[in-house]
Amino acid sequence: MAKELLKGNVAIAEAAIRAGCQAYFGYPITPQTELLEHMSKRMPELGRTFLQAESEVAAVNMVYGAASAGVRVMTSSSSPGISLMQEGLSYIAGSEVPAVFVDVMRGGPGLGNIQPSQSDYNQVTKTAGHGDYRPIVLAPSTIQEAIDLMVLSFDLAEKYRTIVFMVLDGAIGQMMEPAELPPMRELPTERPSWALTGKGNRDKNIVTSIRLGAQPLADFNDILQEKLAVIEKNELRYDELYTDDAELVIVAYGTAARVAHTAVKHLREENIPVGLFRPITLWPFPYQQLGELADRVSTFLSVEMNAGQMIHDVRESVGRQAEIEFLGRPGGIIPLPEEIEEKVRDMWRQKNLAAQIN
Amino acid sequence: MTTANIPLKLTRKDFVSDQTVRWCPGCGDYSILAQIQKTLPDIGYKKEDIVFISGIGCSSRFPYYMDTYGIHSIHGRAPTLASGLAITNPNLSVWVITGDGDGLSIGGNHFIHTMRRNINLNVVLFNNRIYGLTKGQYSPTSRTGAKTKSSPMGSIEQPVNPVALALSSGATFVSRSLDAHTKHLGETLAKAAAHKGTSFVEVFQNCVIFNPNEWGPLEDRRQRDDHIIYLEHGKPMVFGKNHDKGIRLNGFMPEVVQLGDEFSVDDLIVHDETSKQLAYTLSSLEYPDFPAFMGVLYQEEKPTYTEVLMDQIHTAQETKGVGDLNTLYRSADLWTVA
Ligand code: SF4
Repeated sequence: MAKELLKGNVAIAEAAIRAGCQAYFGYPITPQTELLEHMSKRMPELGRTFLQAESEVAAVNMVYGAASAGVRVMTSSSSPGISLMQEGLSYIAGSEVPAVFVDVMRGGPGLGNIQPSQSDYNQVTKTAGHGDYRPIVLAPSTIQEAIDLMVLSFDLAEKYRTIVFMVLDGAIGQMMEPAELPPMRELPTERPSWALTGKGNRDKNIVTSIRLGAQPLADFNDILQEKLAVIEKNELRYDELYTDDAELVIVAYGTAARVAHTAVKHLREENIPVGLFRPITLWPFPYQQLGELADRVSTFLSVEMNAGQMIHDVRESVGRQAEIEFLGRPGGIIPLPEEIEEKVRDMWRQKNLAAQIN
Repeated sequence: MTTANIPLKLTRKDFVSDQTVRWCPGCGDYSILAQIQKTLPDIGYKKEDIVFISGIGCSSRFPYYMDTYGIHSIHGRAPTLASGLAITNPNLSVWVITGDGDGLSIGGNHFIHTMRRNINLNVVLFNNRIYGLTKGQYSPTSRTGAKTKSSPMGSIEQPVNPVALALSSGATFVSRSLDAHTKHLGETLAKAAAHKGTSFVEVFQNCVIFNPNEWGPLEDRRQRDDHIIYLEHGKPMVFGKNHDKGIRLNGFMPEVVQLGDEFSVDDLIVHDETSKQLAYTLSSLEYPDFPAFMGVLYQEEKPTYTEVLMDQIHTAQETKGVGDLNTLYRSADLWTVA
């Protein structure tokens, strides 16, 4: 299939359809509404389910219902809408049913604004509801990557019977870029063995998040933790750019990583040995890989479109010896390449100065 | 309610804020804003005792444009903020400004419970049957078959009937008006303000950008009287530009009749805004199958939530005496933690 000029939100919706999404439940919210609108057009003509729910709370629970029946299902929203979904997310996690969520993040807290932001890093990677679990969180930085990760989201969700989030910001959702859509997949002809499909002659299936009594719930949590450990081992994704000889490394994802990429290219022209480390999975976070980088590199810069959320994971990765600085823009502002370049030049000067003094 | 010491005679201008109004040119919201600003000087409240609370949506920008206290709150939650405020501060005039999306989608649950409690507040719901702020998806009041950006083949859902919902939830004042009929709108808002307890006003509002044809002839001054019944307590239900049509009961079924040889005014239903049965019947008559009724559909005198709450507190104090926290602490078994 050839490349075409695609708008982020629409490309993601179409990629989900081609990945075999059988049901979509959602609610309009800027800046992801085009995703819902594309679904409203395409799903009925393909004989699949589209429903505009009365709220995000309703949407997440419709997802829960469909997922329990073994249907390939998703929803999409933006930050305040994702906050509303926390209850359902926790129940879905407790019931171990696969479900895919797209979060086109905007500025917070509260109603905030509709500008591009990475305000949900903590919300999706640390908690996403009460209880001990983590969703897989994928963070594309181009439309092509968003398409590819959208398809992967369904595969991972089903493989691990888990929640998969794809998080991006309004900039990627709204921009247009040449990209290639995947071919249309065949829909599964059978439902998974654990799904609620009507008992018939088989043993009954139970999908629940209630485990009364301390021990049964503790046992379930152990199983959940084992599963998360497997995901941590198998599903790490990240990208490195100019890190081989770097003495200073920027850590950034999504749109912030795109901007950082531009800055790194400019700085390399000035012979500043800077590299870019880009987590693609925000959970599992590439702690170890970034940590290994810290064996060679002592200076890091976390660039985020928030007030500093991923930086804590960066710190955990690189340890106490490394120096970490932060450049962040909360409130829906995208940092400019020049800002990053200025910051890196400054850090580079300080580093050399310190080396001279020592 | 308080009418105490109002030093200055307020005017409409006193309620106009310094904010630039950011609705689309021609939006029906402008007229509702103007009518509320015109109504407020006469409702018997000091300016600082008036609060506007909204949720999310085009209509919810309202508090910015009012020079009163206001809260631009959370999607669908305005009735709950308003409830908390009105119960704990009963001397305020509290107004909830909401829309068909905010009030009936995510806020549908809160809407029901606010209507049934009879807290002293006014709920004005701007109904344009579309999501305007997110640019044109179907709303809970969109007609079945409505083609919108999220229902390209036509909505397959059954719409909510706001007045019927308010009524069946137990509201003690249920009314309707429309943006284009400024005089009627102003009068209806004044009646809502005067009502003790929860008043509900549905306003047919024109979203000129995303749903401009929804209200059709109702929005046209020259045509509208043939499509609207203005309800007046104790008056027969006559309508039409020439007052030549009416609604009568044929058995249990209301029907539109032409006045003339066969039917006269005496055959028509006489509006009784205290009759819940009549209100239920009327609420089920939906435009355009029937002319749209405007005015007060139902009104009932009932103690407000706050009054009943205070009664309970007084009764408790009369029977048990005024509470003493210290005694209460020591009234149960006590343990000494070493
Ligand atoms: S979108 Fe519609 S409801 Fe919103 S301000 Fe514009 S005309 Fe009014």
